[in-house]
Formats: sequence, structure tokens, C-alpha cells
Amino acid sequence: MELPSLSAIGAQAVSGLTTAMLLFLVASGLSLIFGVLRLLNFAHGSFYMLGAYFAWQFNTWLQGSFWLSVLLAAIATGVLGALLERVLFRKFYDRPELMQLLFTYSIVLMVSDVVKYIWGTQQLGVRRPEILSHTFQFGELALPSYNLMIIVISLVIAVGIWLLLQGTRLGKTVRAAAFDREMLSMLGVDVRMLYLLVFSAGCFLAGLAGALVAPMSAIVPGMDADIIISLFIIVVIGGLGSFWGTFLGSIIYGMVFSFGILFIPQFSLFAVALIMAVILIVKPEGLLGRENTR
Amino acid sequence: MKTLDNKRNRLLMATALFLGLGAVPFFAPPFYVVFLNDALIIACLSMSLNLLVGYTGLISFGHAAYFGLGAYACGLLMKSAGLPFGVSLVAAGALGGFGAALAGFFCVRLNRVYFSMLTLAFSLIFWAICFRWNDLTGGDQGLSGIPYPNLTWISQMLGRPDFSSAQSYYLVSLVVVAICIAAMWIIVSSPVGLILRTIRENEQRSTFIGVETRRVKLAIFIVAGTIAGLAGGLFAIFNRGVYPDFMYWTKSAEILIMALFGGIGSFWGPAIGSLTLLLLHQETLALTEYWSFALGIILLVLTLRFPSGLWGLFKRFTNTRRSK
Amino acid sequence: MDTTFMQLKRIKLLLGLLGILATSIAFAQVPIRVGFPMILSGAGGQFGTPILKGAQMYVDEINATGGVLGRKIELVPRDTKSRPDEAVRVARELVLRENVDFLVGTFTSGEGPAVSVIAKEAKKVFIAVAPKTDRLTAPDAIHPYVFRAAANTTTEGRAAAMIVAKWNIKRLATIAPDFAYGRDATASFVAHIKKLRPDIEIVDQQWPKLNESDYTPFITAQLGKKPEAVFSVICCGNFDSFARQAGAQGFFKSIGNNFIGLGEAGSIEALRALGGEYPLGVYANTYDAFYWKPKDTEVARLHAAFTKRLSTAFKDDTPPSWALQGYISMQFLVEGIKKANSIDSDKVSTALKGLEIVSPQGKITMRAKDQQATRGMLWGKAANRDGYAFPILDPVELIDPTLFMD
Repeated sequence: MELPSLSAIGAQAVSGLTTAMLLFLVASGLSLIFGVLRLLNFAHGSFYMLGAYFAWQFNTWLQGSFWLSVLLAAIATGVLGALLERVLFRKFYDRPELMQLLFTYSIVLMVSDVVKYIWGTQQLGVRRPEILSHTFQFGELALPSYNLMIIVISLVIAVGIWLLLQGTRLGKTVRAAAFDREMLSMLGVDVRMLYLLVFSAGCFLAGLAGALVAPMSAIVPGMDADIIISLFIIVVIGGLGSFWGTFLGSIIYGMVFSFGILFIPQFSLFAVALIMAVILIVKPEGLLGRENTR
Repeated sequence: MKTLDNKRNRLLMATALFLGLGAVPFFAPPFYVVFLNDALIIACLSMSLNLLVGYTGLISFGHAAYFGLGAYACGLLMKSAGLPFGVSLVAAGALGGFGAALAGFFCVRLNRVYFSMLTLAFSLIFWAICFRWNDLTGGDQGLSGIPYPNLTWISQMLGRPDFSSAQSYYLVSLVVVAICIAAMWIIVSSPVGLILRTIRENEQRSTFIGVETRRVKLAIFIVAGTIAGLAGGLFAIFNRGVYPDFMYWTKSAEILIMALFGGIGSFWGPAIGSLTLLLLHQETLALTEYWSFALGIILLVLTLRFPSGLWGLFKRFTNTRRSK
Repeated sequence: MDTTFMQLKRIKLLLGLLGILATSIAFAQVPIRVGFPMILSGAGGQFGTPILKGAQMYVDEINATGGVLGRKIELVPRDTKSRPDEAVRVARELVLRENVDFLVGTFTSGEGPAVSVIAKEAKKVFIAVAPKTDRLTAPDAIHPYVFRAAANTTTEGRAAAMIVAKWNIKRLATIAPDFAYGRDATASFVAHIKKLRPDIEIVDQQWPKLNESDYTPFITAQLGKKPEAVFSVICCGNFDSFARQAGAQGFFKSIGNNFIGLGEAGSIEALRALGGEYPLGVYANTYDAFYWKPKDTEVARLHAAFTKRLSTAFKDDTPPSWALQGYISMQFLVEGIKKANSIDSDKVSTALKGLEIVSPQGKITMRAKDQQATRGMLWGKAANRDGYAFPILDPVELIDPTLFMD
């Protein structure tokens, strides 16, 4: 087997980065929700899928305002998340983990059929906006500007959330809630409202990711199941509840998958699962996770 | 003595159930035989999961992997190597047990959600291997055309030469499943069963009173994996084919849901849950294509109101009646 | 109680019931029931639904003329969810509980062989609508009750080789989903192209899993090997994402559009979904196209009439290409029943072997030798043409599959 050239490796690294950032965009919401609410939201993939479908719908109604459709789709997903939190999800915060997971799985089942009912089984597509249809060519490396945009937005969001959590009062309150919510409520903070906000924000992020991914891949039922396993692998590798852990996990996933295809094509699926297993065996709380103090 | 009576009653009821089920091919139309065959195998599988979830508090998300391993073992040996059914079935259980030993060794060192995640990781690894090892397992395509074993000796023994392979095979499944269930019953009603429950209640305390929790957990993990493997072997032939789907996480989720639906707090709960869900699945699909939604609603109601499943419901009902 | 009143009431009720019974007996001609296991949900549902509709269209046409053997035909569809074990379960349910007389359906190359085993078990004729894998009718799997109305990977792969052999290229790469269909089609293509053009070198082979959502790493890896042409079997609804991602990376441009897409890459659904983003100048195939203008006048007439009926049924001037497969499969079954003059599967099986039908795409024969139909496909080059809202295949031709069948 001939060794790939340096630029081919570079190209593979960039494609791995694209995969990673895309997944991070989705996973950031999941991580946030788990970190603060201690809820492992299986339905996160469903909100991602809804974001994509909403984007298509708004695109059809508004005829070509791509960015507006994306924003509206993300907002719609966030609002839907808030509604579901208010009505259903909040009943499960103190329940055993198994019940939480089963409940969120029930949401996955229901949403997938609702989506099928409303939009049918036909594959839908959204066009990339004109200004992002260009592809940058660096020698052998082809980087579509749309992919670059995704990488940039994911990084901006990562830094943005980080600054929010570290620097602002709201952020500090959110982190405190992750630590000790009883104390927080005794200090007069409306914890329920806070939880609603965080959950909604997580769903907003998932919806945003779905809406942004739509022009790159097909909008089909089944999007939700495909992505949720990758998300779980990422948060486990990075550390349940650690924000930068999720970032690191995404990078690892993206790179292993991408290079796996180049060097050991038969086993790239196997490789990511193996890494997940190894991390759990060696450092179960994840690379950047902290031991669960609860 | 009351306890003796209870035990004898239970044994009598179980025997009656066994005989009743055994009589089915003689009287019922072939569709019921096929349906019950399916239900028996799945019930055995979900009960094996319950050894972990209900009795020991180990929530495994990857149980389908051992089912799948058993199915592949049996299917490959029977189709490609032409080995007899008995050997293939034993191999199925063995491979399931071996896989469980391998995974369990690492998994039992972890607690709670990490345990669950690692069982999931291992099931993904096993799945990925079967999925990609095209030459051996047929990859995504799987192995189809798995033959029925030669069961004419059964129909001859019973004096019913008109029995189809499906009907004779049903009886074979019934016997194997009955043996597995008997084995599980013996385990949970023995002192080992008590130890499992103490581990579930409070693992730390169990170690304080001298229980080697890790060994016990590994042991029960292997037992559950072996039984799952046997169920897989039975299913490979019943289904006339083996596919990597058998070991995917969605299958593990299905089994878990069935066990919970029936009630993980009891021995027979998962069996009832499996039967009920299979029935509902079939009937619903004949009416509408939106089975996922229906199952979602069932799960939602289950988690909101009836976490102890159908069995819990039944118990509540009988208790209120008794108190009246 | 007024007993006479009650008696009168009872008599009226009885008469009413008798009346209903009488009328229902008059209308109760037991229909011929055909079980239809097909993917109706998930990503594959977008093909299964038009296939079912195409089949239903044929059934409605036949029933309007009185049915076959004096009985109406009734389709009993079931969703297989693209899972072979679900396909087995519904096939058994259809045969044992719904008491269907025949089975027609399945889409993927996993479902086909799975249901074939059940058909053999139940001794009912099964016509596979879409599975192309050679394994369905391979010598170790074939039995009297399985028939294939679809094209197969041998003819599809070899037809592609015939087209590619004319290209001025030396370095060739393949990309195909990692399952039976992808593997078999690629194998048949590679074997044949090596015969036709021994100078061509296969420089890279990629195998993304079916329904992969992120093709970027595979595309990058393949581009790294600098192929001059690419053979693809990306199918089953995945061509859309693949084409977008590949297009964004300049994939098609870098190989000068020397790309041939099997697996219905040129279907109406794919052309419409991608629209302006469809890579122009590439070759692709499809089962049917409403814009196809056959040279033979008789076939042209049949096809035009069919397309018109299809457009009405789908309320769409650009109806999907998969419906024809459902239509043709049912046509084979019904003509087989007619020829056998019976619904007994053994007799229908004998009748089907060697049966020739006149389909909306011309004559198709169900070979007695391997129980496969001589089902060709339309192959063409993607181009923009006036009068169409999305690109179409032009020039496009139906390649005769008998050229490639042993």
C-alpha cells in the first residue's frame, strides 16, 4: 500500500475537522443539558432532526432567505424544547437514570413518526446560499467555503458559551445550579426557570446544527438515530458534563474516523467504538471529566 | 406448610404452562405456532437481561450483542460448516458467554451510568466487527438461507408425520427455552439470588459483609450472556437468517423496553412484557404504519405512571381486590 | 311488555340482517390476495411508497376490467422498515395469518433473500420487485418460487463497464455502499472492465456504509489517489448527500465529470432533489423517466400512455421513476396467473418461467433459466434542457440487458 502524500494527509485532517466541528455543534447542546440538568437527553438527535426539517420548511415559506430560515429554525426548536421541558421533561429530573433514558427514548420514537407524518418519507433538500457556494483550493486540498463557515461558527459558539459560563452572572448561576441547586434556590434563584432556559438553549443549539447541516446532507427520517450514537461516543470520550471535553471528544472522533478511512478502511467504525471502550476502562469519567460528586 | 404449598403450586403452574404451550402445534393453526416461537425466544432473551437489570441492578445497554453473537455462531456453523444443530446451539451459547466474559471483565469494574456506557461500547465493537467482516459474516447483507435442522425424528416420535419443520422446531425451541428459564429460576431462588439482590440494594454494604461483588457480577453477566447466546442461536434458525441488526443498540433498547414494560421487579414480568409488545406490534402494524408513535406513548405512560410495568399493575390490582 | 311489538321488531331485525347477508354474498367474490412487503418508513420509504402506488395502479387497471380469472386482486401491504428480520416476520404473517396467495415486494438486497426463504418455506410464488443482488437467484439459493422483476448486479455492472470502456482514461476508482448490492455491482463492473480494457488500473476503492451521512472523509481519501474516472453505486437516497458534499469538494470537476452513478443516481427523485446542484455531464442510470422518448413507435405509445396514467395517479407531471417497478412486478404476476389459469403457486411458477410481457418499456421476459427478468435500465448523461425544471438525462437510452446475461 502506497503511503498517502502529505497534502492528502492534510486534506484528510481538514475533512476530519469538518466532521468534528459539525458533531461538536450538535453535541454542545447535549453536554450543556447534561452538565447542568444531569439529564442524558436521548432525544437530542430528534431536536437536531427537527432543526433540519424546520429549516427546510422556513426556506420553502420564505423562498430563499437562507440565514433567516436557519435562525427561525433554531428558535423554533428552542421554543419547542421549552414547551416540552415545561410539560414533560421537568417531571423526570429526580427520577432514576433508567427512567430518564426511557422517557427521552419515548420522545425519540414519537418525534420520528410525527416528522414522518408531517413531511412524509421523501428526502428533502436545501440549497447552500450563493455566497457560500465557492470552494477554496489549496493545492490538492479542496475546502468548500460552506464547510469553513461551519468550522468557524462552531468555534465561535464554543468560545461564546465558554465566556458566557465563565464571565457573566447568568453563566455563573448556571454553573452553580450544576453544582448545588438546592443551595441556589435557597439563595432566591428561580431554579425552575433556569432549567427551562438551559434546556431550551440546548435544543436551540441542536436545532441550529440541524439547520446548518441541511444543505450538506439529506434531510431524511432516520437522521436522529444516526447521530445520537456518535454524540454519546463523543461525550463519553470527552467527559460527561465537561464542555471542553465535548470539544476534545468531537475532535478525536472526527480525526479517528477520517484517518481510519485512509489507513484502516475496514475498521474506522470499530476504531471509534474501541476508543470509547478504552476511555471508559482507563478513565471512565472521560478525558476532561470530573468524578461525579452527586 | 404454606411455603411448600406455594412452591408446589408454582411448579405445578409452570408444568401446566409448559404442557399447554407444547400442545399448541397439535391444535392451533400454523400462524400461532410461528408467533409463539418468536415470543418464546424473545421472552427468554428479555428474562436473561432481567437477571442483570432487575435482580442485580446492572443496567446493560448492550445485551443484544450476545444474542447476535450466538445467532452468528449458530448460523455460520449450520449454514457454512454444515454442523448439526445440537453442536451449533451449544456453540451459540458458548460464544455468547465468551463475549460476555470479555466485555463483563471490564464492565463490572464500573458503576451506574459508566457501566451502561461500556456495555454499549462493547456491543458497538462486536457489531462493527460483524458488520465489516464481510467474508465471514456477510456484512450488512447478513447470512440468509439458514436451514432448519433435520427434525423428522420429532414428528415421528410424536406420531404426527404431517408436522412441518416449523411445528417441530417450535417444540425444540420450547424445550430449550424451558431449560433456560428453569436454570434462571434456580439461580434467583437460590442464595445466589439473594446475593444478587443485596448487590442491587447496596453494593458497598455487600462488600462489607464479605460478598465478592465483582466476581458475582461477572458471573451473572456471563450467565446472562450465555442464555442470550442460546436465544440467538434459536432465533437464527427461526428467522432463517442472521443480520448485524441483531446486535445493534436499537435491539438492546427493544429488549430493555420489553423487560421494563413487563416489570423488572418480577421473574415473569419480562416474559409478559415481550409477549404483550410483540402482540401489540403486530396488531398495530396491521392497522397503521405509525408503530413508533404508539410505542412512544406506551413508554411515556410507563415511565410517568407505571415504572413497575405490567406486573406492578397486576400486583396493585390484586392487592386492592384482596384488601376489599 | 308488548310481545307482538317485540316480535315485530325482532322479525324486522332478522330481515335486515338477512338482507345484508344476501347482498354481501352477492358481492363477496373472494379476491386474490397478494402480500406486499415493502419499505414504507424511514429513509427507504421514499422509494417503497411509489413502488406500492405503481403496483396499486396496475391492480386498479386490472380490476376495472373484471380482475383475473373472474376475481379481483387485493394488495396487502406491510412495512418491512428495511430490516430483513422484520421482512421475515411480516412475510410469515402475510402467508400464515392473512392467507395471501402470493408475495410481491422487498426493496433491499437483504430483504429479498430473507423473504425468498419464507416463500420457499410456504411454497408461494414471490416476485422480488427491487433487490438486485445476484445472491437472490444464485444456484445455491434459487428455488421454484422466487422470481426477480428487478435488474441485477451482473447486468448493471457490465452495462456500466461497456459505457466506461469508451472513455479515454487509465486510472479508475470505485465508491460503493458496503453491502451486498454495492459489493456485487462493483465486483461485476470490475471483472468486466478488466476484460474490455485491461489497461485500466483500479487505483482506489471506498466502501462507506449504507446511509452514511458524512462522505467527506471518503471523498477526500479518493481524491488523494488522483483517479481520472469514478464508478459509483451510491444509491438508496444517499446520492443526494453524496453529490452535494462531493460537488462542494470539487470532486466531479477534478475527474472531468468522468463519473458513472449506478443505483438510480439518475432517478427523477435524485434529479429533482438536487436540482441546480446536480453534477452535469455525469452518467447515471434509472429504471424509468417520463421524458424518455423511445425509438420504437409501439413502445413509445405504450410508454406515453403509461406516463400519462402515472401523472394522474401521482398528481404530478414529473412522476417518480420507481412506480414502474411495482407496476411491472404485478404485471408479471397477473400474466402468470392468466397463463397458468390458476392461483396455485406451482402452476404459476411454471407459467412464469419464460413468460414474456409487454410492459410500458417494451418486451420483458422472465427467463426460465435463472428466474430473472430481462430488465434493462435507462442510462444517460445529465444535462440542462429547456422545458424542464431540473436537469434530465439526455442523451438517454435503454441498454439491452440480454447482452450481459449468461
